[in-house]
Amino acid sequence: SFLQGSKLEIPLWLAKGLYDSKRRIISVELPKIYREAWRTVFSADANVVDLHKMGPYYYGFGSQLLNFENPENPEIAQTILQATGGGSVLPVSDPVCSPQTFIARFRRIMDSSQNAYNEDTSALVARLDELERALFQVGQKGLNDFQCWEKGQASQITASSLVQNYGKRKLAEVDG
Amino acid sequence: GDLGPFNPGLPVEVPVWLAINLKQRQKCRLIPPEWMDVGKLEEIRDRERKEDTFTPMPSPYYMELTKLLLNYASDNIPRADEIRTLVKDTWDTRVAKLRLSADSFVRQQEAHAKLDNLTLMEINTTGTFLTQALDHMYKLRTNLQPGESSHSQDF
Repeated sequence: SFLQGSKLEIPLWLAKGLYDSKRRIISVELPKIYREAWRTVFSADANVVDLHKMGPYYYGFGSQLLNFENPENPEIAQTILQATGGGSVLPVSDPVCSPQTFIARFRRIMDSSQNAYNEDTSALVARLDELERALFQVGQKGLNDFQCWEKGQASQITASSLVQNYGKRKLAEVDG
Repeated sequence: GDLGPFNPGLPVEVPVWLAINLKQRQKCRLIPPEWMDVGKLEEIRDRERKEDTFTPMPSPYYMELTKLLLNYASDNIPRADEIRTLVKDTWDTRVAKLRLSADSFVRQQEAHAKLDNLTLMEINTTGTFLTQALDHMYKLRTNLQPGESSHSQDF
C-alpha cells in the first residue's frame, strides 16, 4: 500500500486505469517536455528540438496525457499540433493562428524524405519521434518507388522473397 | 481492336505497347507525339515555372511516354537529350509546387484542396505521404475539441 501524497513513476496504461476525476485517487504530473518552459521552446522553433531524445512518442503520449484533466490541456494540445515555424522561410499570413509543432516540422520531414540528394537525412531522422519516423519512411518509399520506376526496374520480374527462401530451406532439410 | 493496314512507308497509329514491341524488333520507325518537341516543351517548362497553378500537360502520361520513347526510340526523336532534360525540369518544378502547396495547406489547416492538372505519376509520388500526414494532423486536431471523453472506471 502507498502513503497518500507519495510520488511514483508508473506506466501510462496504469495511470489511465487509476485515474478518475471524481475520486481523485491519483493526480498526474506532466513530464517536463509538455510543460510551459518547453512549450515556449516549441513555439520559438519546433525544428531544433530532438524529439527522439525527449521521449520518442511525443505526439502519441502527448495525446494520451490529455485524458488526465489538467488546466494546461488546451495549451498542450495546441503545442503538440503547433509550434511557430520560426525556421521556415515561407511567409505566415495569419499572425493570430501560430503554426504548430507537427505542422512546423512537417515541411522538413516531407522535403528530406522526398529528396534524393539530401545527404544528412540520418541526422534529421535521429531527432524525429516515432510518428514522424513512420511518416518519413512513407515519404522515402514514394521516392524509392519512383526511382525504381525511372530506372526501369518496375517492369522486371523478380522472384518473390518467399520463393527464394523456400529453396534454401529445402536444402537445409535434405542435409538435416 | 483492329489495327492496320500496315503499308510500308505509310504512318499508322497503334497502341504504345505495340509500337515499342515492333520497334524493338526493328520493324518500324516511331513518330514522336506533337508535344515531344524542344520548342513546345520549353514553353511548357517556362509556363510551369512562372505560374502558381499547375499547367495542363499535353498528355496525362507525359512522364511515362517520355521514358518509353526515349528509352526505346531515341534515334527517332530529334534532340532527345534536350527533351529528356526539359521534361525532367518540368517534373521537378511540378513536384516542388506540389510540396509547397501541401505545406501551405497543412500550415493553414485547410479542410479542402483542389489541385487541377496533376498527373497520376505526380500524385502517386507524394500522395501516400500526404494522406498519412493529414491523418495524423486530423487526430491531433481532435485533441483540441473540448469535452473529449475521459474514461471513468468504477472500482
